Amino acid sequence: MDYIIEMCNITKKFPGVIANDDVTLRLKKGEIHALLGENGAGKSTLMSILFGMYQPDQGVIKKNGEVVKINDPNDANRLGIGMVHQHFKLVQNFTVLENIILGVETTKHGMLKMDEARARVLELSERYGLRVDPDALIEDITVSMQQRVEILKMLYRSNEILIFDEPTAVLTPQEIEELMKIMKGLVSEGKSILFITHKLNEIKAVADRCTVLRKGKCIGTVDVASVSKEELSEMMVGRKVDLIVEKENKEPGKVIFEVENLTVKDRATGKNVVNNVSLNVRAGEIVCIAGVDGNGQSELVYALTGLITPDDGKIRLNGNDITKASIRQRNIGGIGHIPEDRQRYGLVLDYNLAYNLVLQSYFTPRFQKHGFLKYSEIYKYADELIDKFDIRSGQGARTITRSMSGGNQQKAIIAREIDRDPDLLIAVQPTRGLDVGAIEYIYKKLIAERNKGRGILLVSLELDEVMNVSDRILVIYEGEIVAELDPKTTTVQELGLYMAGSKRGIVA
Amino acid sequence: MDTIYFLVQQMMYFSIPLLVVALGGMFSERSGVTNIALEGIMIIGAFTGILFINMFQGMLPGQPILILAIIIAAATGIIVSLTHAFASINMKADQVISGTAINMFAPAFAIYVARMIRTVQQIPFVNQFRIEKVPVLGDIPLLGGLFFRNAYITTYLGFAILIISWVVLYKTRFGLRLRACGEHPQAADSVGINVYKMRYIGVAISGALAGIGGLIFVIPTSTNFNATVAGYGFLALAVLIFGQWNPFKILLAAFFFGLMKTIASAYSGIPVLSALDIPNEVYKMIPYIATLIVLAFTSKNSQAPKAEGIPYDKGSR
Amino acid sequence: MNISIKRFLSSEGVANFASSLMAIIIGLLVGLLILLVSNPRQALNGFGAILFGGFTDMKNLGQVFYFATPIILTGLSVGFANKAGQFNIGASGQFIVGAFAAVYVGVKWTFLPGALHWGVALIMAMLAGALWGLIPGILKAFYNVNVVISCIMMNYIGMYLVNVLVTNTVFDSLKNQSQRVASTAVIPKMGLDNIFRAGNSPSSVNAGIFIAIIAGIIIYIIVEKTQFGFELKACGLNPDASKYAGINSHRTIIISMMIAGALSGLGGALLYLAGSGKSIEVLDVLAPEGFNGIPVALLGQGNPIGIIFAGIFVAYLTVGGFNMQLFNFVPQVTEIIIAVIIYFSAFALLFKDFIRSHYAKDEDKLTKTRPVSQGSLGGDK
Repeated sequence: MDYIIEMCNITKKFPGVIANDDVTLRLKKGEIHALLGENGAGKSTLMSILFGMYQPDQGVIKKNGEVVKINDPNDANRLGIGMVHQHFKLVQNFTVLENIILGVETTKHGMLKMDEARARVLELSERYGLRVDPDALIEDITVSMQQRVEILKMLYRSNEILIFDEPTAVLTPQEIEELMKIMKGLVSEGKSILFITHKLNEIKAVADRCTVLRKGKCIGTVDVASVSKEELSEMMVGRKVDLIVEKENKEPGKVIFEVENLTVKDRATGKNVVNNVSLNVRAGEIVCIAGVDGNGQSELVYALTGLITPDDGKIRLNGNDITKASIRQRNIGGIGHIPEDRQRYGLVLDYNLAYNLVLQSYFTPRFQKHGFLKYSEIYKYADELIDKFDIRSGQGARTITRSMSGGNQQKAIIAREIDRDPDLLIAVQPTRGLDVGAIEYIYKKLIAERNKGRGILLVSLELDEVMNVSDRILVIYEGEIVAELDPKTTTVQELGLYMAGSKRGIVA
Repeated sequence: MDTIYFLVQQMMYFSIPLLVVALGGMFSERSGVTNIALEGIMIIGAFTGILFINMFQGMLPGQPILILAIIIAAATGIIVSLTHAFASINMKADQVISGTAINMFAPAFAIYVARMIRTVQQIPFVNQFRIEKVPVLGDIPLLGGLFFRNAYITTYLGFAILIISWVVLYKTRFGLRLRACGEHPQAADSVGINVYKMRYIGVAISGALAGIGGLIFVIPTSTNFNATVAGYGFLALAVLIFGQWNPFKILLAAFFFGLMKTIASAYSGIPVLSALDIPNEVYKMIPYIATLIVLAFTSKNSQAPKAEGIPYDKGSR
Repeated sequence: MNISIKRFLSSEGVANFASSLMAIIIGLLVGLLILLVSNPRQALNGFGAILFGGFTDMKNLGQVFYFATPIILTGLSVGFANKAGQFNIGASGQFIVGAFAAVYVGVKWTFLPGALHWGVALIMAMLAGALWGLIPGILKAFYNVNVVISCIMMNYIGMYLVNVLVTNTVFDSLKNQSQRVASTAVIPKMGLDNIFRAGNSPSSVNAGIFIAIIAGIIIYIIVEKTQFGFELKACGLNPDASKYAGINSHRTIIISMMIAGALSGLGGALLYLAGSGKSIEVLDVLAPEGFNGIPVALLGQGNPIGIIFAGIFVAYLTVGGFNMQLFNFVPQVTEIIIAVIIYFSAFALLFKDFIRSHYAKDEDKLTKTRPVSQGSLGGDK
């Protein structure tokens, strides 16, 4: 067979976890080969091994049938392997050109030969339809432009085997389509592509074959054309998955939360990153803010939770104006907040679980007296929550939070926020990076809260989540709410068009 | 006019060491390693350099002995800086702590060695290094008086280091890679650049330049070395920030700070300033206060290398 | 090995203590090496002087407490700010402005009666120190200025300012230093000088050591038992999450820097009001006591009670260093040893990991608590 790269029986162990367990992956020349798996299935580890960033404990890598040793990214580069990392590896205050040549610079008398490099980059971008300005600074160009720079980096190095690690997470549906075209174009020029993803639609759209990983083990390699999405999904998760959430109809109650003409300006550019946003959330409904990452969702949430002061507009909770209230006042007043990056914003990782569980309530009379903390009360309460929310950890309430799994960390945040009985719960990408079990748990909790009559504002980037969980969808595009949709009557395609800004609706 | 010549000549004595040391700090910080050990490294560099001059003075003519002393100061500066590099890069230690240790070690070591071998801690030397007038250039009107009389070769060395630093940082492969390591070491690593090696080199350059800076600070301003460089290492750190990690802005900052130092030490000789009757401590304070003000205005939008002070861990990509 | 012993050995406190001990041992070995190189015949005697000098007689022991007093306070200052995530390298400046405030009150405010005089002097010193901590605190909180850099600037501004102020207010021009304070401003001896003395020669120890110890206990209570301590540590460990949780991080950072400054200022007052004849000299030299707070805080691993012992230990080495002069050694060896100790304290993390991985391995298999860390999985987030 004509395999350009073979990774045979790769095993890689990290302390306490087997990231890859006897995994075999074979890439044919000129194909797009998808690598499918849940978060933590070992996809990135496998690709890091191929790219020379880790050494496998067992197994060999072959190129064109010959065993090769890849000790570092330089070796990978020499073998023609290039990678677009999930988090771009670009120096922000360097130009596009500088980023492309970094590591493979050509020099004359010790000085960089920039002109030659520029000509080559222009030629490549012409040939592959990847138009970029070589002299623009990375910090000034869009995310999809940055991705093109990453692709150009590989082409500049004449790489033959291109690894794309979750390349679509940061793109709009239109940009995704564009990327798919570029990938097909690259393959037709003779390149071979490894495409890491957990999105089945994209695999169906571009991939020829697909290798599935689950919990570090290789489940199998299939021809994409011969399997259905459902079959792929079952291979990935290990059981039939039905993330269509059970949810009874419920008539929403009174308005809990109102936002009127909210505007937030970017400090540096003065541009409106949140532009005249008005919305409301009623008791017993889940309102979802849908949109592609970076369209003002973060800033909107910052303004709602008090992390930044809006430049204009009003925010009312239960009829009270809280536009100028502090974060603490809002928290006490009835807002619960599940932040987007739980490790950075949601938890003090070096505090133990009990401390994190009282992070929003340590100052209440229950846990302190005259400024002194009542530790026995704190631990008693923590034990209650651990029980009630099924939070698993090594040493119970005294476990250092850093040592807990992502799913249990998220459970801790949810326990803390829900148990405070907030009227409004703001949940930002609450399922990001979690496995299916944890995702199901979180959906159940959110719906239970809705059924109890709380208002929930969900910010999500995942179309499936938007469609399945929410009662009402507000689409945000470039800081503006461009449509209000009913998930029962709208389609994913339609939603995608609004998210990309190519269609605007009438906002109620 | 003579006053101005005098002021500029004096200013060079203060500004050039600041320039050289701050440029050293720039290389370290641009590679991603904070180096508050500049003060300590200056002391060690000055100590070994002056000790060498003290021992060999008279055996060799002036300028060659100075050049040899500069080489020795640079070499010892590199050796000391490598301990900082080891702690910061391999051990992933807190870089401020390791820098503090060196700052504490240096004067104690200089005094200890001086007293063990000479019984007193001061090391005297004869200043035979001043150039009264550079042939030909010293006669150029204006410029000659400003830069080519009562000068030291170290002044020209300082300017040479400035220009070389700029070229190296912005025009060479090494500079591009060094800056990448200080901004985004993961990116550098992913294209096969050895981040540890680049950082070692960055710190070593800072060691060499700080060592030189220590020596060329002591030579024009004193006749003996007393295990101190009067806080110039910390002042150079301020120059570096004031100059926003950019070679030519660092030059301007070094001139400004040098001017303030000059005024503080010589204001009684300047009629306008002596009439004002401001205590000289005020002039000494100005560079530090100015730095604080600049920091207050620029820190939210600082040009500091993004990965500065953060140990690079190959595991956390 | 028994599991409970292993758990004990891998516990935080033991790991901290062991890593401090390791740094101390390496520091002392380097000291011994230097002595051996410079004078092999006297090296062991000299080293013995460092190790046991503080215990040779009651006067020396008293001197240990006298030297420990200011550095316990600067150590507490550095350690406390560190809990809030700030590296207070500005203890030196805070120390000297505190010292000046105390000396000024001590010399000028003679209208204050007896005990009130030194009491007020201490309070003024704390206020001055707090002001010197407040400025970097504000710059950090509102302008995001790196505290290390602003503190270095504040050290020099403080030193020059005190020089101006001493020269213009309480100057003894003959000695180029500050005037002696009134006897009512001197910290009482509380009979300590009668205990800690060698024959007719008393040591300089005074009630200051008690004040330092009490300060340590108060700081311990603030950090470990109070709501403010909880907020402070949260800010130090994760400022973003603290902000999300509604903790006013600006306020917390500013207050913690003020308290840190007040502690250093108090240290300055206790040294210059000790009645040992020490005055503020008008020199362009930063107060070393401030920098000595850094090793004290490191060796104490940030724990206020640990800092009290660490301060006494460093003072003990200092007194030992003076004793070493009997054998014609230069006392700077002590400073070299302390510098080496600081350097290796910076490796504390490595030591701790080593200890943990050595003793915690078997336990892992039993309790299965090992994290599936994001980093080791190659960022599959």
